[in-house]
Amino acid sequence: MRISLEWLKDFIELNISPEELIRVLNSIGLVVDEFSWEEGDLVLEIETYANRPDTLGHLGIARELAAVLGQSLKEQQWPLAEISEKTEEVVDVQVFVEELCPRYCGLVVRGVKVGPSPEWLQRRLRAVGLKTINNVVDVTNYVLYATAQPIHAFDLDKLAGRKIIVRQAKKDESFRTLDGTDLQLSPEMMVIADEQKPVALAGIIGGENSAVTEETQDVFIECAYFDPISVRMTAKKLGLQTDASYRFERGADISFPPRGALMVASLLSQFGGKATRGLIDIYPHPRKKKTLILRHHRVHELLGVEVPSEKIESIFQALQFGVETTQPGCWKILVPYHRVDIEREADLIEEVARFFGYDQIPSAFPPLKQLEPPLSPLRKTIQRMRYLLFHYGFNEVLNFSFMSEEDNDCFAQARKPVRLRNPVSSRSALMRTTLLPGLISNVAYNLNRGAEGVHLFEWGKIYFWKNDVTQERLSLGLVSTGWRETKHWSSLREKSDFFWLKGAVEDLFSLLRYEPVNFVQKEHPWCENGLSLIVSYKGEPLGFLGLLREEIGRKYELKQDVWVAEFDIGYLISKQPRAFHFQPVVKFPAVIRDASFLVEAGLPYQQVRSFLESREIPWLEKFELYDRFTGASIPQGKVSLSFRFVFRHPERTLEAEEVDNLMERIIRSLKSEFGFQLREGGKIDK
Amino acid sequence: MEELREKIKQYRLKFDEAIKNVKTPQELQELRVQFLGRKRGYLTKLIESLRDLSPQQRPLIGKEINELKNYITARLEETAQSMTAVAKRLPGIDITLPGKTLPLGAPHPIIKFQEEIENIFYQMGFSIEDGPEIETDYYNFEALNFPPHHPARDDWDTIYVEGRDDLLLRTHTSPVQIRAMEKKKPPIRIIIPGRVFRKETPDPTHLPMFFQVEGLVVDVGITFAHLKGTLESFLRRLFSERIKIRFRPSFFPFTEPSAEVDISCTVCHGEDSDCRVCRGSGWIEILGAGMVDPQVLKNVNIDPEKYSGFAFGMGIDRTAMFIYQITDMRSFYENDLRFLRQFLKQ
Repeated sequence: MRISLEWLKDFIELNISPEELIRVLNSIGLVVDEFSWEEGDLVLEIETYANRPDTLGHLGIARELAAVLGQSLKEQQWPLAEISEKTEEVVDVQVFVEELCPRYCGLVVRGVKVGPSPEWLQRRLRAVGLKTINNVVDVTNYVLYATAQPIHAFDLDKLAGRKIIVRQAKKDESFRTLDGTDLQLSPEMMVIADEQKPVALAGIIGGENSAVTEETQDVFIECAYFDPISVRMTAKKLGLQTDASYRFERGADISFPPRGALMVASLLSQFGGKATRGLIDIYPHPRKKKTLILRHHRVHELLGVEVPSEKIESIFQALQFGVETTQPGCWKILVPYHRVDIEREADLIEEVARFFGYDQIPSAFPPLKQLEPPLSPLRKTIQRMRYLLFHYGFNEVLNFSFMSEEDNDCFAQARKPVRLRNPVSSRSALMRTTLLPGLISNVAYNLNRGAEGVHLFEWGKIYFWKNDVTQERLSLGLVSTGWRETKHWSSLREKSDFFWLKGAVEDLFSLLRYEPVNFVQKEHPWCENGLSLIVSYKGEPLGFLGLLREEIGRKYELKQDVWVAEFDIGYLISKQPRAFHFQPVVKFPAVIRDASFLVEAGLPYQQVRSFLESREIPWLEKFELYDRFTGASIPQGKVSLSFRFVFRHPERTLEAEEVDNLMERIIRSLKSEFGFQLREGGKIDK
Repeated sequence: MEELREKIKQYRLKFDEAIKNVKTPQELQELRVQFLGRKRGYLTKLIESLRDLSPQQRPLIGKEINELKNYITARLEETAQSMTAVAKRLPGIDITLPGKTLPLGAPHPIIKFQEEIENIFYQMGFSIEDGPEIETDYYNFEALNFPPHHPARDDWDTIYVEGRDDLLLRTHTSPVQIRAMEKKKPPIRIIIPGRVFRKETPDPTHLPMFFQVEGLVVDVGITFAHLKGTLESFLRRLFSERIKIRFRPSFFPFTEPSAEVDISCTVCHGEDSDCRVCRGSGWIEILGAGMVDPQVLKNVNIDPEKYSGFAFGMGIDRTAMFIYQITDMRSFYENDLRFLRQFLKQ
């Protein structure tokens, strides 16, 4: 809201410096966002709030200033040039929808010379950023910006039957606004009509058919109170917002219309206008002022400071509230009509705080009566997960929770996506069902800017429908492509590959103590054939890892191999990980046996691993696959696998013979289960 | 025979002289070949010349040659070993060359900053709560005292779910206040960090998604003074002990009285009337706050006559932009590694 200092001075004597004025306004919550000197006048851009329509005019700001500075407002006179004709003889006003229009005032001004506005008026309008139209329209705008009361002027001669009817629009009724927009109306909308047609959209905008022009001689002045919700719904539905609708939908001052109409008539008398006698004022059910109770002890209980009774009383008196002491420590407060925001005791306490001064309230720390629960396992797990991934060189990214229809086509899945009714753009038409579109776009973005290797992870929610209920699941996505290290003079560097990503994933689940996680080679629609693993934990699928399908990559302008993985970590974390137990370090030496086997080339390693893990071989501490090769020395269709087995007894040194027996058992079982042939074996004792 | 003895003596001296000058393994190998080479080595030649001696003389000289051979072999071995040891410590190259670094991944600045905020509140006895991002109109607006057709809703431009009038993307973290109060009786002392959504076209200071942190304290006897004390402590820890803090009246439907919290501009300290950060005002708006509106307490069946509370909210992205002087909010979500990886050092 633009406020001119010169204009404010119509309402209040101001002898303070601009800096002080701005400080005072800030202190009561009227924040001056910007200010500038224009034509010798100080113009303030004041931030106003949705609950304070009374501050949408100079009078309202002056009222607040008067209260804070302890001054009173200037008296204003609005002399009229009148004629003997009675208003009701000239125009017939009927309100058919009283609940939507509780008060309607009207007056006719005859003989106005329509033309350019005088300089003083144009200057005022320039200050608040309005264009001049003609003196009549300018006067209505002037009153609006002075008092926050919207006014409309009709050309009396254009009102068929000299009638003003406040009614609902008819079905399929159409209407052209002042600015030439054609609107299709519907019955829940309120219009001002003459005998034949709508002439204004109530509280929003006037019609072209009744506009004041150079030819106009007599005008009908409307000054009314329209129902906030009705105005808002109509304005929203038609996509219109005007200075009038902005004020009516926030709530106008229902006591003001007679004064507003007189102000306009008085100002029009400067242009030869003569007002008809007797204001039309249709106000069948006058509203009473709201009465609220304020308890002194509640002020202290809410603000944490003792505000003296006299101070409280003087604050409300200065704000034009009625104050009566009903019993000690208790007041009956009468709320003026312009303060539509004051409805409860808490609202009164805010007024006390505002004018007592937020800076006068002390600072204290709320006593801690109980300890809040500790950090959730989810947060702890995520922190550990992040640090492991940083160690592997993955950078953390954040993408918007949205995706496009194209993303959805590339990453189609059985889950039904959540679509948005009014997305910001087509790129964000859906809620993401996977983290990969975002991550892959990040890869392309960085490769295009010269990155040699891109290794990223994101953790965040994905969204989908399940039986008409929206689901939000915490997901972890990983992408990796290109060089893993920067070039170094001393050694060759490595590129990211499948087993590097798999290693990171294996390590991740192992360090979080979710073991064993099962990897099964299976096709995944987003991955190249034969290059994807489905990962599961306790029989439930967790996600996958693999090589991104080339045709998907190409859609994101990727020309190189990108390794991808995504896991439902929300599910994982909902499961209890294996408990952490410290194991005393065993002092007895380990016995190590290496053995190499000839194995069918098609046998997945995962099967061998699961088999060995399920064997429960005594004292077998661990086993590792340390070599794998094929070649001239290996028969066709076979592969050589070399294992290292580490045995250790917690309480004594193992005898070579015992270990030989255990090895014998292992070799025999591998032979019978998978047809392993022993190539060679060796002992290393440590 | 004496002639041979003299030769043995000469070779030994020659070897001792030569090995002193050996610097590289290559030279060492050359020396080995020169003396011990099977075809033309000096010692091979000496052994060959044994033929000219009488059977009685041969073993005597042979023993001497053998002694020399053992001596040379031992010295060569010793030198070779010390050479590798030296090689291990100093490869004979410029040791001021760059070292090898591990390619450590970088945390995202927003998440890192959020963690910092969480830690401060954690130390002040707050716990951390979470809630859904696809919300109902009830939790996002109505329970927070936004009546259905209230213009205040215009300040929270909302994205809705298609096909369901009651579902929207939460416009603030405040709905979690309601969920937390429904779940738990006072005392309540929580913060709620998370994603929020607004129907905003992206530009340097607006995005359709960003991060917020919300706080809520409800108990018997909570006052506006407690709100001030808590937020002052938080802001001083987050920024600096030296900042000035100002509370000024504001409006939020779910708090009454409401406040906006400003801190003194840490860029110009209020000294530059053209400061592009505070636009010359000397103040930066950082938080919205207020006493929980009695209607909000009633909506969750907490008696506002018995309990009171305060709530606050802060934009994480906006505050991070201010702290690091980042001018375009979009840079947080472009995920340019040249941007992100700087925060490794933060």
